[in-house]
Amino acid sequence: MSFRIGATVLLDCNGKALQSYSFQTKRVLGCIKNVLFFLNAYKVDEIHLIIPLKGKGVNTSKTLAGLKDTPISTPLSVGGGVDSVSLIEITKDPYFERLIFNSSIFDDNEVIKQATLKMGHQAIVGYIPFILKKNTIKIYHSKRNKFIDVSDKFWENLNSICNEVILLDANAEGGGKGFNFKVFQFFNFPINRVLISGGLTKLDISKAKEMKLAGVSLDNITLHSEFSIRGLR
Amino acid sequence: MLINIIDVGLGNIGSIEHWVKSCQLSPKRVTNVSQLTNDPIIIPGVASAGEYMDRLSSLKLDKEIIKKYQSGQKIIGICLGFQIMMNYSEEDSGVRCLGLLNGATKYIKDKKTHNGWEDFKVDTRKVKHNAFFSKKKQKKVDGRVYFNHELMVELVEDTSAHILSNGITSHVFKDNIFGMQFHPEKSQQTGQDLLKLII
Repeated sequence: MSFRIGATVLLDCNGKALQSYSFQTKRVLGCIKNVLFFLNAYKVDEIHLIIPLKGKGVNTSKTLAGLKDTPISTPLSVGGGVDSVSLIEITKDPYFERLIFNSSIFDDNEVIKQATLKMGHQAIVGYIPFILKKNTIKIYHSKRNKFIDVSDKFWENLNSICNEVILLDANAEGGGKGFNFKVFQFFNFPINRVLISGGLTKLDISKAKEMKLAGVSLDNITLHSEFSIRGLR
Repeated sequence: MLINIIDVGLGNIGSIEHWVKSCQLSPKRVTNVSQLTNDPIIIPGVASAGEYMDRLSSLKLDKEIIKKYQSGQKIIGICLGFQIMMNYSEEDSGVRCLGLLNGATKYIKDKKTHNGWEDFKVDTRKVKHNAFFSKKKQKKVDGRVYFNHELMVELVEDTSAHILSNGITSHVFKDNIFGMQFHPEKSQQTGQDLLKLII
């Protein structure tokens, strides 16, 4: 199976696509439908559409509802504030193949169990933004809006409930300084089910291929150098 | 041409509609038996076999699809739609399915899943005994297709299936049936080329 070159797009509650830098600065990019349309035309292997929660409540089903008629033929994963209520609405006629979870991985896994029943285990993706600090890994918890320490049990649980994970280098996000591969010293998950994201360079992508990761999810670079997708394969 | 899309309130109907429209064909959502026409029928994917078969049965669409198959109408199954063409599925603690193809749907061994892109080639001149390719100018599709599933089809004594190197059945052409485990509606240009080839 081929190594996947995906793209991450952030979406705000007004239907605008956002660019994010170092997990802090956000810049409005434009209409999300146009962004999806272009990524589809660039033939990325998959699109990861994330609504950044950052401690706030969002109406996920309402935010996503306007996208249903976007005519794309590229695999789509969506995430950000998916709870039991929004899950029912957004899985009625899913125009996406997979669901992305963050907060639900840490605390109550019930919504992930419901999603697995509705869409299958293959549809469950964990979203793991991280920072490395003093030789430890800290993982972002979106409901609490902070990076926290995690135990061995977290990795065990992640492995059992998520089919794949997107591992995001939060410090490198949006830039071009490179992904911090040291994370794999602290990360306990089968690497053939990992996609990496955050500041990826061409060298990083080659390294990810060599490591036999599942793929990469490019951030801002995709929309700045759109014709590069084929060259990255 | 009109394309019947089975709509029991489950599955990615919107994406299938877009796929059909992108090939200048007309999708028609079929929610009950009286709406079915004599045009090709698509059974879509993205749901669980138990719930899907329950709804098909309660709407009597299961028996109607079997009748249409027996009368020679083209039936196209995508992902779950392909899996429920078998006699039986292991999903949801075991489900009796349509039995259009002799085989069973089973979980991929060791709780593995199959996500991503695989090469795809079909040459109509090498596919025998099927209703899909008569009088077609286009003879080949060559590209890549997108898979996303945790169950797989195992056909009994059927040489018409295309099996991937990992043992997963990618697709099968048999008589008036075309079943595919991948998602043509999310396979970009290859998916569109394939629909133009089979319709």
